[in-house]
Amino acid sequence: MSKYKLLLLLFFLSTFCATAQNVEKQEELFEQSYALLNNMLVDENNYSFKKAVFSVENAYLGNKLDTLNCNRQIKLLNNLTISLIKERVLNYTERDLEKVSKWASVFQVMHDTIPINYNDKLYKYEPFGYDFNDVFGHNTRENLFVSKLLATRKGNCHSLPYLYKILCEELGVNANLALAPNHVYIKHKNIKEGWYNTELTSGIFPIDAWIMASGFVHIDAISNGVYMKALTNRESIALVMIDLADNYNVKFPNNDGTFILKCCQTAIKEYPNFATALILKAETRYKQIEKIEDKQKHDLEFKELEKEYAFIHKIGYRNMPEDMYLNWLVSLKTERNKYENKSHN
Amino acid sequence: MKTLFFLLIPLFTFSQVELPTAPQPTQIQHYGNQGLGNPNGIQPPNPMNIFYGTEEKQRQQLQNQQIIQEVQQHQKQQLEAQNQIKKELRELNSQNDGINYNLPSHSNLIGVKYYEDVYNNMLVLDETNYSVKDINFNIENAYFENALEKAEFDKTIKQTAEFILAKMKELNYDLNSNSAKNYMIFQYFSETLQLKGFKTKHFPLTYDFEDYRGEKNWAKMFVTKLLRTGTGQCHSMPLLYLTIAEEINAKAFLSICPNHSYIKFQDEKGKWYNLELTNGMFTASSFILNSGFIKAEAMQNNIYMQNFSKKELLSQLYTDLAMGYIHKFGYDEFVEKTIKKALDLYPNNINANMVKANYDTVRFQYVMKQIGINPENKQELQGIRNFPQAIALLNETNEQYQKIDDLGFQQMPAEAYEKWLGSLQTTKNKQDNEKEKEALQRLTKVLNEAKRKMDLKNKQ
Repeated sequence: MSKYKLLLLLFFLSTFCATAQNVEKQEELFEQSYALLNNMLVDENNYSFKKAVFSVENAYLGNKLDTLNCNRQIKLLNNLTISLIKERVLNYTERDLEKVSKWASVFQVMHDTIPINYNDKLYKYEPFGYDFNDVFGHNTRENLFVSKLLATRKGNCHSLPYLYKILCEELGVNANLALAPNHVYIKHKNIKEGWYNTELTSGIFPIDAWIMASGFVHIDAISNGVYMKALTNRESIALVMIDLADNYNVKFPNNDGTFILKCCQTAIKEYPNFATALILKAETRYKQIEKIEDKQKHDLEFKELEKEYAFIHKIGYRNMPEDMYLNWLVSLKTERNKYENKSHN
Repeated sequence: MKTLFFLLIPLFTFSQVELPTAPQPTQIQHYGNQGLGNPNGIQPPNPMNIFYGTEEKQRQQLQNQQIIQEVQQHQKQQLEAQNQIKKELRELNSQNDGINYNLPSHSNLIGVKYYEDVYNNMLVLDETNYSVKDINFNIENAYFENALEKAEFDKTIKQTAEFILAKMKELNYDLNSNSAKNYMIFQYFSETLQLKGFKTKHFPLTYDFEDYRGEKNWAKMFVTKLLRTGTGQCHSMPLLYLTIAEEINAKAFLSICPNHSYIKFQDEKGKWYNLELTNGMFTASSFILNSGFIKAEAMQNNIYMQNFSKKELLSQLYTDLAMGYIHKFGYDEFVEKTIKKALDLYPNNINANMVKANYDTVRFQYVMKQIGINPENKQELQGIRNFPQAIALLNETNEQYQKIDDLGFQQMPAEAYEKWLGSLQTTKNKQDNEKEKEALQRLTKVLNEAKRKMDLKNKQ
């Protein structure tokens, strides 16, 4: 009997150890991913948006991301863009034709149905689509992942612009991510038109008024670059770093906030008016402060926190309810004529 | 500002002190002339007088003034020296290849003198404290070769201010409230008003659709024209507003958006209002953004929808000066130096940057004509290789255009502008107008109530 008990105890202990080890292992993955991203900021030669994104997704998936397959798929799409550039003539005459042509090819791969002639057989290439299910990744964070987009060919305003940026960089051209409330899109600058927007969720090139006049963006947020700023590569890494922190929060709901704050601080250092990072930091601090038992210390730190919230308000951030977001996103299709950039085609 | 005025008073009252010859800031007389409700005429005793005596104070003041003027004089000389060197360098080059790299000067023409005078006057004033009323009048007057009557203009503005203040009293508005003052000026622009016991009526100022850009007649843009005819456009109306605001000590700001300018002011709660004077409406910021010609970069570079500081406004006034000159005489070095000054004050001033781009283009075309190259023709343009000075000019021109692009500027066609301005009359914008108006009226009422209670308390 006692032998049984001992065995049982041993058994429980071992499973407990195993889960603890798993947790530790996954935490280690997050730390590794953080280190990788941070390294890209320390030394820009290490920068690769593709590596950054996949490392974050891999950390969440517990090292189970099939990186080889993802890379193969990206390579396939890359080849497709290269052949598109070769075969087609753009109606564009400025000096930066080469760049514009590369951007156009990536856009086509993302958004257009393309006939492909392979061994004298005509195939139809199906573009990526928009997935209206769980656009904020509430059900599962994986819905926001580029790897999910590659597997299902359906994505949202998170994964679609990320993949677009990755494909641009594979071709050796830059693509600037840009933020709007709850939203990510692409900005490019060419000689003919200056800055213009590429909206991947609907495949339209909207003018800035679409976002500005939505009523959800405070003017100060635009002036301060909270939204609608063409983000540099470093700032894009800051974005991915906050993805990492969000994922961590989902995996470890009862964490003490140390890792989150570390991510936030690095991201904010790169992009001081990054509203999402500022809010995440403030919310994490709030949770921490609530646990402080010493009243004086609690009140003091709470005062400090209020200043942070005031700053977030001051730079122009306002909360946009999620259902409003979807209506607004659809407005681009329903009011296409009003918001479409007609000079761009 | 007020304290500055008080401190300066001794300078004027003691005539035995020899004042330096450089002109004193003219706006100072300005605060003395409001008989209505402003206690500016009374000078509070300065407690520091006990320590220093009044003469010590004066001496210090005088010294400070002299230092400021010396510095300004020095800066001016430096600027001129720089321009002179540039010019001489170009002339030197001209002697070598027989090409004139400077636009021919108009300085021998009669009217130019008046522009030079205004320019020199503007150089020495205090950039953060000057009278919009006076400067703008001088700019307009230069266009008419000083044929306008300043005294008459002053009288008109003074009467307007008196009328507005009298109406405020009649309506029981709080004379110290910035929003009440602004609301009253706005009503003066947009409504028919009459004072109790007077027969004459004041009619709203209206929009003049004809030649609203002053392309045929630049004087159409002028405040003096608006006062004479009661009609104006988006240039003269906001400037008259600022002039009146200055006269009654109200705080209001000029703001611009594509092809347009309007007024912004802040109420006691810190809320900003946009006033569209061309059709007498309060507008929401989204209306302005909805014009569709404002890029995010334009906002990030603060070229549109900002409330201009005094310095930025001065930059705009320099641009106006240059524009008048261009319409009267054309482009030459006067335009160059005026615009340089405007850009020194406010480097992102989009209007000044555009004038600079035009100036650069005209100058380059002038040089190309002498060389015999058509710059539109890409092959012919290759020929400038032998003219390093011309290449430098071309680069300068291209850089200027690049700067304008980087600022986020986007050309707004005239039809789009007219359509947008007309769209104010749509239901949505009318509703916004009513909403903003109501908010302001409510606030005015609250303030009045508070004032009444205070008065009552003081009486008791």
